[in-house]
Amino acid sequence: MKTFRAAPSTIILWVLAALYLFPTAWFLLSSLKPGSELFSLPLTILPRDWTVAGFVTAWNRFDFQQYFINTTVVAVVTTALTVIVSAMTGYAFAKYTSWWLRGFFICILATTMLPTEVIMPSSFAVVRDLGLYDTLAGIIVPSIITATGIFMFRQYFSTIPDELMEAARIDGVGEFRLFLKIMLPLAKPIAVVLAIFSFQWRWNDYIWPLLILRDPERYTLQVALRSIVGADNIDWSVLLAASVISLVPMVVLFAIFQRQILSADINSGLKD
Amino acid sequence: MRSQQRRRSGAVGVLAAAATLALMTACAGGPAAEEEAPDEPLQFFLSGDANQGGGFAHMAELYEEETGVEVEIVDIANEDLPTKLKNAAQANDLPALARVGGIDPVWKDLTVDLASVTEGSDIRTDLAAVDEDGKVLSVPTDITAVGLFINKTLFDQAGVAYPTSPDDIWTWDEYVAAVKQVQANTGATYGMVMDRSSHRLKAFLYEFGSDYFQPDEDGQFETNGATKEALEYFASLNDDSFMPRSVWLSDGDPNGLFKSGDVVAYMSGSWQIADFAVNIADFEWESVRMPKQPVRSTNYGNAANIVVFEGSGQEDAALAFVEWLYEPENYRELAETSGFLPVIDGLEVTYSSNAEDFELYNEEIAASDPIAAKIKKNDLAYEVLGVTTEGDPVRDETVKYLNGEQDVDTTIQNILDQLSDQLGALP
Repeated sequence: MKTFRAAPSTIILWVLAALYLFPTAWFLLSSLKPGSELFSLPLTILPRDWTVAGFVTAWNRFDFQQYFINTTVVAVVTTALTVIVSAMTGYAFAKYTSWWLRGFFICILATTMLPTEVIMPSSFAVVRDLGLYDTLAGIIVPSIITATGIFMFRQYFSTIPDELMEAARIDGVGEFRLFLKIMLPLAKPIAVVLAIFSFQWRWNDYIWPLLILRDPERYTLQVALRSIVGADNIDWSVLLAASVISLVPMVVLFAIFQRQILSADINSGLKD
Repeated sequence: MRSQQRRRSGAVGVLAAAATLALMTACAGGPAAEEEAPDEPLQFFLSGDANQGGGFAHMAELYEEETGVEVEIVDIANEDLPTKLKNAAQANDLPALARVGGIDPVWKDLTVDLASVTEGSDIRTDLAAVDEDGKVLSVPTDITAVGLFINKTLFDQAGVAYPTSPDDIWTWDEYVAAVKQVQANTGATYGMVMDRSSHRLKAFLYEFGSDYFQPDEDGQFETNGATKEALEYFASLNDDSFMPRSVWLSDGDPNGLFKSGDVVAYMSGSWQIADFAVNIADFEWESVRMPKQPVRSTNYGNAANIVVFEGSGQEDAALAFVEWLYEPENYRELAETSGFLPVIDGLEVTYSSNAEDFELYNEEIAASDPIAAKIKKNDLAYEVLGVTTEGDPVRDETVKYLNGEQDVDTTIQNILDQLSDQLGALP
């Protein structure tokens, strides 16, 4: 009886899953087709000629190792700093009161009112004048502060009763230890969620690295991948293969943090 | 209850700020910006070299073998190259040289005079950007031209003939009738696709006898009656049976459509040859002469140009490389590797494949109506002046016309108004 009632929803979910799987499967299988097969009619899911030529060309043409390292440095450093800074700031906003903190909170919230693209020219001027043009720090520093992360931590810390802090203070715990040893461990789920998102944002970031990085030795993966798109032609088979290669680290990361990512249902409406 | 917290907030704030600052400086110290020295490799920004056979990378290798000077080829997406150079110019960090689509007002004054490259050579200076003082801002690297491809397999299957010599070139009416015949006999979904670009539309307009859009002495743009006739003809072709409306109205991919084998003809250009040679296996394709109605013309030009930048500290080395590159035997090697239509007049280039296609393009360029050269000259003059249009009025207004938003007269008037407004008079 129970299985019978669950049947329609199970079917719907399978259909939905198939719908999501379809473009991904097509993408993956297309990367194994030769260039002459990509557009030929009738379109087939499975390659008629299986080939890894696109992968070989992509691997030889691009210094993937260098790009992986650059992107990893940017994503990891930014993520670590974002989580630390967001946790501290969110904690301060939730647990301390002062007129300037309230004002500062409004300032932070105000940064979400402007699309990132709008402030890019001024951000660029600032980064350039700081001497960070064409450095990885130039893409790391402006990305550390995210209103989303701060807000996530603030909301979370607000739900933790003040009595917990008071008890700790009575036991003689200093403010810094209170934050590090008691509050931060409590906020671990938020930290993990923010870390996952931040990593993903930075990994896929395109427009800002494009503006800041000049030297190909410092290119991130996404900027390097774009160079396959020429003036009038796109080398599709190389682009497909290179995109598949660039996905691998994200897939590995997903496999490791699957449980945390799936429970991170606060994704909706977030802004990086 | 809150008073205690307030008292401590200051200390924590300072600590947090100090920690953050320390972390930031720690990572800012990583990859420091280095000073460019003459013995460092010459950075050469360009786009699409690897897709086009890697000619420049090949020449860079030869140059290093010959002189020991390293030229580092940096391949950047075509659409991003202008952004990259603009930002690099603003950060005072331009590469030694670049191959660009056009002159950007942002770095126009930061270029080195290339007169030493063009002087005494047969380089087509009519395609180079030369200012009124005779300073050569850029030198074309190759010529591209608009041309027509047909799906030969479909034509053969339908038993329809197409022109194979310069003596029997079809008119647009004959061409359309022939393609419709092929469609009817083979069941091909579409007769023709054409790139969504004013560069392609120019060739179409010239072939109908249009003067295109030209400024008078006061900077007011004008055109002749043939423009209207051509645009109306073009709109009638975009009927979703002969031409798919999706290409011009919503940026559908004409290259992909033609490669599918379900489209009889494709009006595009010489740069497709290398792609088609590798990526079309299911049918035979051929370059054919474009129709005339009654004018025979293609639209050709300097698709890309070399510029050498001031301020890199490597100007002389970069200039020496460009001079070497344009020596006829070196340039021939480049043209043969990348499949370029040569910019050096009279240079014999032997293409290893698709030689007959390249020959056809050279013939189309030579046989082009003078209007093509005239409009190209105007475009270059505006570029050197540093004035550009916002977007592409000719393409964008035509799209509105095709979409039924405005009639043909309004379309032409809007184009004339915008060009007069944004470009003005020629010097």
